[in-house]
Amino acid sequence: MADKSVIVDRISKSFGTVQALRGISFEVGQGEVVGLLGPNGAGKTTTVDILSTLTRPDEGCAIVAGHDVVTDPAGVRRSITLTGQQVAVDEMLTGYENLVMFGRLQGLGKSAARTRATELIRSFDLVDAANRRVGTYSGGMRRRIDIGCGLVVRPEVVFLDEPTTGLDPRSRKSIWDLVTRFKEAGIATLLTTQYLEEADALSDRIIVIDHGIVIAEGTADELKERTGGNYCEIVPRDVNDLPAMVDVLSALLPERNRAALTVSSDRIAMPAPNGATTLVEAVWRLDAAKIELADVALRRPSLDEVFLSLTKDSSQTSVPDRPATSVPS
Amino acid sequence: MTIAQQQTQPGFALLTNWARPKTRAENSPRVLIPQTLEQIKRLLLRWRRDQTMVILTLAVPIFFLLTLNTVLGQRISQITGHSALSGSVPMIAVVAAITGSSAGAVALMRERADGLLSRLWVLPIHRASGGLSRLAAEAIRVFVTTVLILCAGMLLGFRFHQGPLAALAWLMIPVIFGVAFATLVTTVAFYSAGRPSQPGTTLVEGIALISTLGFFFCTGFVPLQQYPRWIQPAVEHQPMSYAIEAMRGLSQGGPVAWPMTATLLWAGGTLAVCVVPMVLGYRKASTR
Amino acid sequence: MTAAIALRPEPSALQQWWVLTVRSIAPTLRNGETATAVAASVIFTAGFYIPLKDFMGAATQGIASSYGQYLTPLIALQGISFASISGAFRAATDSAAGINRRFGSMPIAALTPAAARMSANMYRCVVGLVIALICGHAIGFRFHRGPLYIVGFCLLVLLVGLALSSLFDLIGTRAKNPEATTPLLMLPQLIFGLISVGVQPAEQFPGWIQPIVRNQPISQFIYALRALAGDTTAAVSSPTWSVMTPTYLWILGLFAIAVPMSAVSASRRP
Repeated sequence: MADKSVIVDRISKSFGTVQALRGISFEVGQGEVVGLLGPNGAGKTTTVDILSTLTRPDEGCAIVAGHDVVTDPAGVRRSITLTGQQVAVDEMLTGYENLVMFGRLQGLGKSAARTRATELIRSFDLVDAANRRVGTYSGGMRRRIDIGCGLVVRPEVVFLDEPTTGLDPRSRKSIWDLVTRFKEAGIATLLTTQYLEEADALSDRIIVIDHGIVIAEGTADELKERTGGNYCEIVPRDVNDLPAMVDVLSALLPERNRAALTVSSDRIAMPAPNGATTLVEAVWRLDAAKIELADVALRRPSLDEVFLSLTKDSSQTSVPDRPATSVPS
Repeated sequence: MTIAQQQTQPGFALLTNWARPKTRAENSPRVLIPQTLEQIKRLLLRWRRDQTMVILTLAVPIFFLLTLNTVLGQRISQITGHSALSGSVPMIAVVAAITGSSAGAVALMRERADGLLSRLWVLPIHRASGGLSRLAAEAIRVFVTTVLILCAGMLLGFRFHQGPLAALAWLMIPVIFGVAFATLVTTVAFYSAGRPSQPGTTLVEGIALISTLGFFFCTGFVPLQQYPRWIQPAVEHQPMSYAIEAMRGLSQGGPVAWPMTATLLWAGGTLAVCVVPMVLGYRKASTR
Repeated sequence: MTAAIALRPEPSALQQWWVLTVRSIAPTLRNGETATAVAASVIFTAGFYIPLKDFMGAATQGIASSYGQYLTPLIALQGISFASISGAFRAATDSAAGINRRFGSMPIAALTPAAARMSANMYRCVVGLVIALICGHAIGFRFHRGPLYIVGFCLLVLLVGLALSSLFDLIGTRAKNPEATTPLLMLPQLIFGLISVGVQPAEQFPGWIQPIVRNQPISQFIYALRALAGDTTAAVSSPTWSVMTPTYLWILGLFAIAVPMSAVSASRRP
């Protein structure tokens, strides 16, 4: 237990008649970046709320940086930084003033807070805007000052709730870089996002939740394997060569792929368990048989496909009827 | 990448120069004052920069004072034998306190909708510092507006006839009134705002209407005897009138003890009723 | 998506104007704008009438048969002024929220949204006038000349309303800050309304300000309205040219400023 930054153990939470979380469990290790993935209403934000002491769980226990969220919320608050979906800084203060305020509130002396604020302004590339009111900032700048205010004092766990929603690619990249830095500094990060590429790029592990429980967990690669793994897509130049191709590749082409071919198919998709090696093998065989190809590619299922298939499965398994109220997600 | 190269990367300082704060227990009394002061500073900065608030809480009352004095001042001093300002200046000060408090409550609701309240709740600060800082900032704001309104009144001829101690007490009455009223309006705001997306502007309009009524039917507007017999008790006993009469006694002379007591009773009663719901409401608004 | 996309119809300026007008008016019953207007008039009426009835009794005896008769023209003007401020608030909100920008990129003539705001404001003024007359009736106001003069009274009030709303709408659209607009506009309403003959006769004011009181536009409007309403006492003036002319001039003046500026502001494409 000592080396896990966040431990969530069978947490349940209901809001009135709506059950937001139904026994969710997972862990985040030190210096790990864990992505929490799920559709709207899955319970992502409720989970983060509980872990940051904004809400109390009905059942189960959660431990953040060694402090129990229910019995020692003060200890939790000392160890975390929360960045919510909305930018939550004081719009009428300047960027610099916000940073100083958050520093002072967390115990820094006046000059320490000011020094730190100046550093953060430089780090986040807000030097020109530092003395303007945050209300006048652009979307990317506001997100940067928002995160900056959370980094005035070193946290042990960072909660990022949809941090790049609505940002341009450049700002998004800078936040991705930041998360990588957290990792290097040994800070645990729990990242909720709807952008699957983001979860894929940043997370060491991904936890997929839906309807308040964890439906899948693992690295991005592991999750992709679950939905079928890599496959090769081969397109012949002449579609009439298709049957010949099937013969040539018969050893590599399982029955079900063969059965999937119809009269209107123009390509073969076959599993590539050895990745590029399978691809090379297929190309070599086809070349030996003198079949010309228009395109050949090694495809991995995107995390989109993984996600959609996982959540489709979860909604098809028996889930108790829920009232059609909107759940805080 | 060499260390030298790393050091020139933006953000490097970010993650190595962590400042180390002194760690104390969250609710230790030693941190309450500095944390509250820090938040008061923020709230007062906001007030100074918010055009609407400044117009509403300073410009409108002062102009109103000037206008009212021009229109009714002469007749009132003819009738009562004293300057009308002894009633109108306190009245304007109290109205300014009320308007400012309700605008402050709307601003609070907006902070809640923006998520700033939650953000502050999640910081390792004393649980009481948030609410305390709001009341304290309110008191300071009312004090400042009262002083400025007093200056305007003095330009028109208002004078203190009862000495400096009485003048000081005079300045404190709108503050007491204002803080009690702020407690009331904030509590109402917390429990009526419903979904966080609606900051509750209907609340402000409702309070504005009620305080306008209070302004028309108080002894600072016209002397009590001018009101029809049937409404005089309501005019006489409403909290604004008591505050005004106490201030009149402190500046011009006349009964102070009873109006002052009545004002304190109104303020104390409001505080007693509202303080617990307000604290609970603040917590409810900050968490989910 | 295989549903056929409807062919783009030709927009009619009249239809657009009507739609925009309704858009502005429709929420007023639901969102409390009407209720606030009623409350404001009622409080204004009660607040000035009840405390000041005896106070002003002697002073106004020469001019009006009762304080209610004396005060009502100001109540009517307050009603349309409040309506204009609501309109300005709406204009500022639209301007700040960017919907004006949206309209600017659609095939809508530049003047149509402004014209629609004006007609919506007229609706608000009519509502304000009706509420004011009901309040006036409650405190004893009566019309003493024939129906033609009643119509004249109402038309004058609405004309002033149109002039004021054009001006306020301009200010609201330019200011872009809805919350600051309301107290900003209430201030002149307060000052002009109180420093006029609406609440008390000019003689009651300190000497130095009496010329201002007599000649400022609100006072002129009130003289005109009193003349149109008539009264039972002999001291009442009749709506002769000498009484009405200053009023007409002021209204023309307001229009002369507000209309060209509105037109310029509306058609400007920065």
